[in-house]
Amino acid sequence: MAAPMRRVARPRPWALRAFATVSSPASDPQVANTLKTENTKTSKSGKNRKQIPNPRTTKMTVGQDWMSVYPSSAPFKPSAVPLPIRMGYPVEKGVPMAKEGNLELLKIPNFLHLTPVAIKNHCAALKDFCTDWPSALDSDEKCEKHFPIEIETANYVSAGPSLYNPKSRVVTLKVKLSKLNLDDHAKKKFIKLVGERYCKNTDLLTITTDRCPLQRQNYDYAMYLLTVLYHESWKTEEWEKKMTEADMEEYIWENSRSEKNVLKTLLQIKASEKTSAVTKEELLGSEEVENYKKSVVALKNAGDTENNLSQYKEAVKKLLNLI
Amino acid sequence: MAAPLFGGRCGLRVAVAGAPELLAACRGLHATAACCKNRAARVRVGKGDKPVTYEQAHPPHYIAHRKGWLSLHTGNLHGEDGAAERTVEDVFIRKFLRGTFPGCLADEAVLKRRHNELLVCALLLRRLPPAKLYFLLGYSEALLAALYKCPVRLCLQTLAARPVYKRL
Repeated sequence: MAAPMRRVARPRPWALRAFATVSSPASDPQVANTLKTENTKTSKSGKNRKQIPNPRTTKMTVGQDWMSVYPSSAPFKPSAVPLPIRMGYPVEKGVPMAKEGNLELLKIPNFLHLTPVAIKNHCAALKDFCTDWPSALDSDEKCEKHFPIEIETANYVSAGPSLYNPKSRVVTLKVKLSKLNLDDHAKKKFIKLVGERYCKNTDLLTITTDRCPLQRQNYDYAMYLLTVLYHESWKTEEWEKKMTEADMEEYIWENSRSEKNVLKTLLQIKASEKTSAVTKEELLGSEEVENYKKSVVALKNAGDTENNLSQYKEAVKKLLNLI
Repeated sequence: MAAPLFGGRCGLRVAVAGAPELLAACRGLHATAACCKNRAARVRVGKGDKPVTYEQAHPPHYIAHRKGWLSLHTGNLHGEDGAAERTVEDVFIRKFLRGTFPGCLADEAVLKRRHNELLVCALLLRRLPPAKLYFLLGYSEALLAALYKCPVRLCLQTLAARPVYKRL
């Protein structure tokens, strides 16, 4: 009997193939078939017998521990999954293809490692590392009161040799200005310093940092910005005293041109009428001037609305009726 | 080979000596554009003796209808980067597998990426003894991991024969 010999690599006609496989012409018939399969007669030693063990499904009991079969995510193994699953579009008058050698079953993600029992065990194992939510923080207001600064970060999960995603470095810091200890001047200066990052309606300051490569660095930078803004807004510089009316963000009646004009007009009127000399304070304190002041302040601060304009009209009429 | 369609035949009919089937050939003027048949990833229908696998039997327009994807990664999702890099890696890995397991691949390899781990699922024929298969498995894992600097896992499944879906 011929000893097992390596086949010489040369093109062989198909009919000589004793092996049971039917291969497509695309496969390489010239590769030496080193697995001795043509020896179906039992040889002297057990070495040459085909030793393909039975699939694991034949050794499974009904009450087995499934977690030992699929402990973590793994591709579909037909020899380890004891289900008669079929997948594929069937040929005419046929059935979907069986699970052995089914590429479609390999392609799809499977969750065989996440049975309810497995998840329960995972949770039990993770429970040791978890702590309860602090019972004192049971409402949103309390959370806001004790932790006024909100930090927003995003982490990205993607597939590839590098786990680093440049979008994950962005850090957003949100804080309400009312929680910070700022007096009137400090608050105005703060708002001027931050500019567009402050929303008047919600009283929310939003600082977004992304200039550093790491999330940690951007978080430190955002906290640094907040600290610097706070300290700077409390300081008063020399050049701040030169603030003109155009710089002010809010219209203040006292010492304004409007006040001076009204006083001048009223004094002139009073002088021309030669009534008893009325002092400035009395004029300012009178009701008509108060109304006028309110309407002018509303107009300048809130803008031209119907309400404001009609208020201004009434105030002026009443003021000039003083005459 | 699909013959290009042409309009406005105005040429000589040339009889080619010794090749009677070429009598119909005509040196004509092609006034319209050629519209060639699509040949991408298609196995042409033959006499019925060509066994094809499920993967080979379905042309690409059946992807997402009857076929899944052979390569799964997040690069093609909206707003994600790296699609081109993953594709180039895939091409190399498939070539590498074809060379490492010569004649043993029963079907295309399925490449899955989970975070930075590369999972290669391949169907093999039982052409090599198990010892050699294990060696090639370790060799591919080590080499690919060294090349791509990420953990690579090879999950092999051996079959006695290629799973035949149809005979075309």
